[in-house]
Amino acid sequence: MEYQSKLETVLRGIALLLVVVFFMFPIFWIFLMSLQTNETILRVPPSINFEPTLSNYRALITGKLETSAASLEINFLRNLWNSVFLSVASVALALLLGVPAAYAFARHKFKGSEDIAFTLLSFRFAPPLLVLLPLSLYFQKMGLADTYLGLIWVYQLICLPLILWIVRGYFEDISPDIEYAYRVAGHSWFSTFRKIALPLAGPGIAAAGLLAFIFAWNNFIFALVLASADKQPVTVGALAFITASGIQYGQIAAAIVMSIAPTLALALYAQKYLVEGLSLGAVKG
Amino acid sequence: MPVPSSVPKRRGKRLVSRRVLPYMLSLPALLVCIGILVPFITAIYYSLQRFRLSQPWAREMNWGQNYVRFMTDSDFWNTLLVSLEYAFLTVGLELVLGLGIALLLQKRTKLNNAVSIMLLMPLMTAPALAALMWKLMTNPGFGILNYFLTLVGIDDFRWGASPSSALFTVVLVDIWVYTPFIMILLLAGLRSLPTQPFEAAALDGVPRTQQFFRITLPMLTPYILTAALFRLLESIQQFDIIYAMTQGGPGDTLMVFQVEAYLNFFQSTNVGRSSALLLILWAITFFISNIFIKNWLRLRERARGEA
Amino acid sequence: MSTLELRGVTKRYKKETVVDNVSLTVADGETLVLFGPSGAGKTVLLRLIAGVVDPEEGHIFIDDEDMEGVEAEHRGVGMAFQNFALFPHMNAFDNIASPLTVGKRSRDEVKAGVEQVAKLLKIDHVLHHTPRELSNGQKQRTSLARALAGSPPLLLLDDPLRNVDAKLRFEMRLELPLLLEAQGATVIYVTQDYKEAMALGQRIAVLSEGKIEQIGTTEQIYLSPKTLDIARLFGDPVINLYDVKGKQDTDGVFVELSQQRLSLDDSKAQCIDKDAVLGIRPESIKFVPENTAGSIPVVIEAETPLNEKIVTLALTEGGREMLISRPSGTAGPTAGKAFVTIDQSALLIFDKATGNNFVESTKSDTDREVAA
Repeated sequence: MEYQSKLETVLRGIALLLVVVFFMFPIFWIFLMSLQTNETILRVPPSINFEPTLSNYRALITGKLETSAASLEINFLRNLWNSVFLSVASVALALLLGVPAAYAFARHKFKGSEDIAFTLLSFRFAPPLLVLLPLSLYFQKMGLADTYLGLIWVYQLICLPLILWIVRGYFEDISPDIEYAYRVAGHSWFSTFRKIALPLAGPGIAAAGLLAFIFAWNNFIFALVLASADKQPVTVGALAFITASGIQYGQIAAAIVMSIAPTLALALYAQKYLVEGLSLGAVKG
Repeated sequence: MPVPSSVPKRRGKRLVSRRVLPYMLSLPALLVCIGILVPFITAIYYSLQRFRLSQPWAREMNWGQNYVRFMTDSDFWNTLLVSLEYAFLTVGLELVLGLGIALLLQKRTKLNNAVSIMLLMPLMTAPALAALMWKLMTNPGFGILNYFLTLVGIDDFRWGASPSSALFTVVLVDIWVYTPFIMILLLAGLRSLPTQPFEAAALDGVPRTQQFFRITLPMLTPYILTAALFRLLESIQQFDIIYAMTQGGPGDTLMVFQVEAYLNFFQSTNVGRSSALLLILWAITFFISNIFIKNWLRLRERARGEA
Repeated sequence: MSTLELRGVTKRYKKETVVDNVSLTVADGETLVLFGPSGAGKTVLLRLIAGVVDPEEGHIFIDDEDMEGVEAEHRGVGMAFQNFALFPHMNAFDNIASPLTVGKRSRDEVKAGVEQVAKLLKIDHVLHHTPRELSNGQKQRTSLARALAGSPPLLLLDDPLRNVDAKLRFEMRLELPLLLEAQGATVIYVTQDYKEAMALGQRIAVLSEGKIEQIGTTEQIYLSPKTLDIARLFGDPVINLYDVKGKQDTDGVFVELSQQRLSLDDSKAQCIDKDAVLGIRPESIKFVPENTAGSIPVVIEAETPLNEKIVTLALTEGGREMLISRPSGTAGPTAGKAFVTIDQSALLIFDKATGNNFVESTKSDTDREVAA
């Protein structure tokens, strides 16, 4: 590896450049589109010479879409809020349920614990519609269809296994002696859980939470099946928006940018944990 | 000892037995499990019925008929074929590309680390939104990619709108989103390999291409296998990209399992057929996931041993 | 101070029985050493007493109160761990303070308590350090300080000197008995080191494969070990063992070693006509200047001076190795041929088939009263 010929260095450089261009260009280009009016977008040949404008973002935020024909009401902010609310609430619930369960699975090998853990894991890889379609019929009977509660419940299908399996690994890494020492010092199991296990597994819990958030945010199929317009997150909302707004390409681009920005930012922030999280703890980054 | 000992003489008995506590803690997880298993069993039940939402009066058990009918159903075979084509095309290409990029970025330099972090961005983009992004770039009116193609003399490339290029288009989006996944897994694997075999090989003057095939590849195999199976599991049930891009069209070009099942359920309201389709898909994924989980557990043990 | 009693305590993991029907009593203020090779179940036994693990069978009584269903935090036990088990996210002060923060102590009281015990263990200057910043010796002292801080009436020390270097172990071996005495607590001390066991314990319980092999005073364990294994584990240099056959004539029971008759008292009559193993402590062999009646000729192979004694390796005429120990400063041959006599009152004889001592030392079994 030490002896690289000039040719090899150049080839490597070119390959690297191609990789970066292929993977970055779409994001870059959509971002540029979001700063343009339809006029400059539709120019032939396309050019990166234009007067940047925030009018697309303004339109999305005010909810007034000015088309040549008429003023259209859109509610993209509503979608954005739904995404935030659904993701945050789902992750919060998954943490609340999943962390104690992960602790129980890590510390007590009891009858059925592995069965539960593996059922959750194996359905993580099952077709979501298989569970979703019958569930949508049940939800209609139970009055949970098109409710935040129903959606948050369904989001547990992705959030819970993730948190359970990652956090469990972190709990298992804590020596039981450390917890015994705290118990023997006179503290209840609950305060041991709170003062010893939780802080020591803290980084893992944070990482799992962040990843669960990203997966929840990026989810498309759950809300497509279960939510109507006013409960839809950005992933479904953006698709509907395209149909509704027709040819307002600048605004579509701006909507996409606003929809992907939060997860990209979080991913950069948490990149240290992503490898481990994405592989459910199978690979350390 | 001067600190007065304050051991209570009446010792507190535990309220909850130690045997019960773990069950209580995992009760919510158990509930979610039940929440999964009940619809799953319901789906099996539906799949054995003639059941259209639009014709509730005609609902009846028809046992295996939904499945038997698949044998002579060309739509079903098309679905199976397209799903497999999509899965193997994407996973194969992503594996080659991901491994190539991982090798390119293997050395821990600032530039390489920056690039590998950059590559996380497509992976963190919601696949449905990624499809929309590519839709905008391949728009026949103003798509930048169409413009690039005209520069090399291809004038009328219709991307997702044409049956001949639709599969290519969605595979391209899938590659854009998921190659980084394989890349970061293999990169982590590559960087965790022990250095001694490579040093020994370098001392013995083994050529680099041979080093790759005789040392790197065999040692990387568990990672490659895990990444490939993981992706295969997701790819064979891909929905977001295809649905957002073409809704399974044009015609039935991209009618993969989940898209077909979704449309069966919501457009033709054929719950029975939809459920049967999904169960066949489930059987395929169950088979793959069993192999995957075994591999994954082994890797997980190893990763935790290193920590 | 507390009394402790175990009755038929059994613990299984999966199908493996790691603690097997253990019964023992520890008197108020006594220090009992649990001695045994690794994997004997010592640590599990401590965890059972501490209440962090539940037994499958049997009962544990502290101060005559059945501990079944009593949580670890209510048992009034202090414990030091072999791997120290310090809380990595707390500094030394908070580690030591952890038993004091329970209940209604003021901050000043906690501080005073920590400083007191820290001073005693000479770690008062590192209280603000996190475990990662502490040296191994400081970690060990911090973990001991934490166990002592709450003045628990029952102290469980799990091989606390295992993971420290030889010098520190030597220092602590001198320091610990004083410390434990000052504490006045009832102590269970686990170790694999027989010297530590001898130095610290008023009584020793020898554990092997989850079972108690023998409980007794240090002298009892040393002078009349119940099994061959125990005889081998205790003593430095290690006991000399020879395959012999028990015989009897008109003068009584005897065995032969290098054609010399070694007579045994009548309590060992069970060995007659059986394959047996003769155990001779190196210090009950003495060099004699010349070939007197009953002496055994040996050829000296090597000599090793240890600090308080000199150990000689010799070969008997049959080519069997023999270790001979004499106090430093006493004269003895250093090479060539020599003669030794054996203190016949200190001979041990074991059944070769079972490893059991032919003399059932009934005394150590029943002896449970120990001076507190």
